Amino acid sequence: MFARAPARCVLQGVCDCLRAQSFSLSARTNTVVVERWWQVPLSKEGRPPRLYSRRHRVYRFVEDTKHQTQEKLELLLTQTVPKLGGRGDTVFVKKSVGRNKLLAEGLAVYPSPENKEMFTEERRLLREGKREDRIQTRTGQLTVDFLKQSTLEIGIQTAPQQHFLLTKEIVCRHFLRKLGVVVPLHALTLPDEPITQFGDFWCDVTVNGLDTVRVQLIVGPYVDPRKKKLMKQEGAATENTPDSDTE
Amino acid sequence: MPLHKYPPRLWEAMKLTKGIYARLPQHYLKSLQDTSPPTPVHWRPLGVKYRANPKTGHRERVQDVPIPVYYPPESQDGLWGGEGWICGYRYTNNDKLSPRVKKTWKPQLFKKELYSEILDQKFNITVTAHTLDLIDAAYGFDFYILKTPKQDLNSKFGMDLKRAMLLRLARRDTELYPDDPSRKEKIYNKYKQFEVPAEEAEWVGLSIEEAVEKQRLLEHKDPEPLYKSCVENLVKELALQKLSEPQVVEKKD
Repeated sequence: MFARAPARCVLQGVCDCLRAQSFSLSARTNTVVVERWWQVPLSKEGRPPRLYSRRHRVYRFVEDTKHQTQEKLELLLTQTVPKLGGRGDTVFVKKSVGRNKLLAEGLAVYPSPENKEMFTEERRLLREGKREDRIQTRTGQLTVDFLKQSTLEIGIQTAPQQHFLLTKEIVCRHFLRKLGVVVPLHALTLPDEPITQFGDFWCDVTVNGLDTVRVQLIVGPYVDPRKKKLMKQEGAATENTPDSDTE
Repeated sequence: MPLHKYPPRLWEAMKLTKGIYARLPQHYLKSLQDTSPPTPVHWRPLGVKYRANPKTGHRERVQDVPIPVYYPPESQDGLWGGEGWICGYRYTNNDKLSPRVKKTWKPQLFKKELYSEILDQKFNITVTAHTLDLIDAAYGFDFYILKTPKQDLNSKFGMDLKRAMLLRLARRDTELYPDDPSRKEKIYNKYKQFEVPAEEAEWVGLSIEEAVEKQRLLEHKDPEPLYKSCVENLVKELALQKLSEPQVVEKKD
């Protein structure tokens, strides 16, 4: 096998040239499925089929699996891959991506029963194990990064001279509406003294019971979104006009 | 016309019962007799014995008729996954009344670098897309080679790989990752289910000519010169004489 290798390489170069020329002419097919035009007479049970006629070698092209829609390849990730997922996630990717990138670089493994069991066991340990052993998940880390750079504005609709009390439920609802983050009640910690007036405050959010992030709360009066938009536009206009004047 | 003692179509089968063929190991002879048909690749089996006739609706017996596939010699050097050339005819314009023309459907081949965990080596192999799908379905290249039976693998190169892998598993103490005990343990546990004794693994996938040559070399002994046995006989005789003489002397004493 190895002795022929150089000769084969030379030949291959020649073949490549030829192939490039006649690529459109040659019929290149993948796994072809064919069937017979003419029915084969039924043979007795346990006997081989009676394939004597030349007609039985006339085939009809049924399909080529090359032109079917490619199924996705199921894989288990072993590392964090951007845009796909973190360790232990099951992903469905295009076959070429799975074979040439994920499997070739060791970023993923096949979802065999043993591998699946290993990763579910690992997940279970992460969730239920000791606090020291647990590691933040990829999505958890993303949430932490997002919360670190965000502030929460809470608009409170109050009748004049009426006191209000900012409860956990209100803050959680605003987290969901303003930032799109679901914060359960037990994960949120408000300051000890109750918030009853407008101003800047802090609250703590615990992600997956591991990382605690301090988020700024800006409590102010409620402004109608349309009015806010108008005000913004006016503000922009007033900013722009002096500039044009000076120029 | 003279008649043969046995009809010529039986000669091939009778050959295995005589001479050196009969002395081949039993497990190897058994593997030769296995003639189960390969999994259909190029045609769709009906998979049933009886079905309703699509025109009349009556129940009738049906039969799967395989399409003969030609496997060129190159297919033995690669892993084509059971694909081969379909040599036959087709009708032009897909019309039964049009002329019949010759047609050969050939598989599309790719060169692919595949890594074997057991052998710890990369191979440049000619494969088809179907083979890659089979490898994915078997959860890995080594599993595909070890799980797939001979008639489905359909390649000498594949059977050689299988033999090498089985030998590695059988001789794991010396050959399977000798420098890395932890990896050895891991790989061995993964592929433990395929392990066979080394004597059996040596014969896996050998062609009949190779097997006969192997058996011949095993049985081969250099011819012994005649004078050696003669000398031995003479020495024995002399020894007997010497033993018998003192016995007589002792009795006299």
